[in-house]
Amino acid sequence: MNEIVRKDFPNLERVIDGKKLCYLDNASTSQRPKKVVDATIKYYTQMNANVHRGVYHLSQEATDAFESVRGKIERFIGASSEREIIFTKGTTESINLIASSYGEHHINKGDVIAVTRMEHHANFVPWQQLAKRKGARFEIIELTSDLRLDPKEVDRVLALRPKIVAVSLLSNVTGVVNPISSLAARFKMVGSVVVVDAAQGIAHGEVTIERLGPIDFLAFSSHKLCGPTGVGILWGREALLEKMPPYQVGGNMISHVGDFDSEWNELPHKFEAGTPDIAGVIGFGAAIDYIETQGRVRIESYEAKITEYVLDELKNVPGVRLLGPAEVHHRAPIFSVAIEGVHAHDLATFLDMQGISVRAGHHCAHPLMMKLGLPATCRASFSFYNNMEEAAIFIQALKDSQVFFARKVKPTPITQAQGKRGIV
Amino acid sequence: MSYRDVFGEILADHYESPRNFGKIDHPTKVEQGYNPLCGDQVAVSVLVKDAESACPMIDQCSFEGEGCSICLASASMMTELVKGHSREEALQLIEAFRQKMQGAENVPGLPSDTSEEDLVALYGIRRFPVRIKCALLAWTTLKKALDA
Ligand SMILES: Cc1ncc(COP(=O)(O)O)c(C=O)c1O
Repeated sequence: MNEIVRKDFPNLERVIDGKKLCYLDNASTSQRPKKVVDATIKYYTQMNANVHRGVYHLSQEATDAFESVRGKIERFIGASSEREIIFTKGTTESINLIASSYGEHHINKGDVIAVTRMEHHANFVPWQQLAKRKGARFEIIELTSDLRLDPKEVDRVLALRPKIVAVSLLSNVTGVVNPISSLAARFKMVGSVVVVDAAQGIAHGEVTIERLGPIDFLAFSSHKLCGPTGVGILWGREALLEKMPPYQVGGNMISHVGDFDSEWNELPHKFEAGTPDIAGVIGFGAAIDYIETQGRVRIESYEAKITEYVLDELKNVPGVRLLGPAEVHHRAPIFSVAIEGVHAHDLATFLDMQGISVRAGHHCAHPLMMKLGLPATCRASFSFYNNMEEAAIFIQALKDSQVFFARKVKPTPITQAQGKRGIV
Repeated sequence: MSYRDVFGEILADHYESPRNFGKIDHPTKVEQGYNPLCGDQVAVSVLVKDAESACPMIDQCSFEGEGCSICLASASMMTELVKGHSREEALQLIEAFRQKMQGAENVPGLPSDTSEEDLVALYGIRRFPVRIKCALLAWTTLKKALDA
């Protein structure tokens, strides 16, 4: 699909140090099509005004453009009402909002809060800290050897009847896709509130509330779905949101402010204090349009081809350890690799020298990396605008890296004389 | 193309055969250094002689740990350099190296760019800004050990 698609992304044309950019860090943030950038520029140059404030024409235009994006998101994820769509600054803020507003008022001492071993810090630390504040029990659902949720662990945690279970749709480290709808159905039976982190998931398939099953909250970011940075979404069931207290207080979120008390605006504004990232939201709307034009089902099946190719080829690269399952249907095109004897940072610098942008590090998933005993991995994450040629360049570079880094380690004892050696 | 072509023989050599790698007997201080961003981890041990005197001397310095080639090669060079120097001189060297790696030119107290000292090989890492912290980890860890 992508030779035409690639033309929509000006940055993909970049040449760095004589090498064509091969952008494989889409799990960190995606590239943005020109239409998205144009939409934000258009806001600033042609309608620039605050939203929900002025009675003048320009402000109404800005408000309409801003609010129309809420409707787009509602339809995109199949929510039941625009009242359920809250603009935040990203997944991290969305999850913090739930933990603070819902968590603070519904979690008591001795309650159980559960997460999984594969969570990003954004869907781990807010729950861990909530549990700590409340004296609640914090449970981690452990993984199988191929880093999927361990069914025995799911059973164990289900039996604890957690008040909240927070799980990602798709792991940013391993690319594992979790079976959210069946998990949600089971956790609902024991009364849990189910929070889904779709920061990665949203970019790799048709994510709708209906397909996710009886979940309660969904969080994702614009910038991983071709939209601007600084914008995210929190979706929540209206009945829950209605009962939750505000997260931040100030302008826009009030209906009446008296000297000694205030009343809150209605949903979704109750959770949107202050001036939002108007240009960002409008740009996100353009990104949603763009993704819909490409077609999410089409994107998913194209990406599956890349996944299949990379999985197949990786089998022929000796010394490479791929984290997570080797079957295409359990994963998205996110590949964390560790190469025997080569540190992830060295590998990433080597790949960068070939123009390949990958992420090296712990991917904001300390609890998982510590469990695996890995300080860092190199992660290549693909998007629908990457092509097979880039996948091949990545595989070839992994092969070349082994020659590049070939070395014989021969530690010298500490007692050895420390003679100075000249430059060779 | 090989690692040596890009990073040079000296860096490769220190990475492959790190000097002063391991523990020393009865260290005065062992300090842990950790770079949470990339997971690099080093433990630097020092044996300081005449610790209570006006001029404490570094008798031995060693390191252990896990990290990328730049982190380990830099640690290896550092242990060679500080040995036999006073605590004060070592602290000055650490500060000078930090300034150099963060972009300063002609830092007094450091080998010049054309010198044949091994350390000069690390100056080239400034080309890779994100890797500078790898080169500095052992040094900031030693500073902690000496400050305490
Ligand atoms: C699975 C997952 N959750 C949450 C986040 C946090 O998203 P943001 O930084 O946009 O708030 C990320 C981003 O890397 C992620 O991959």
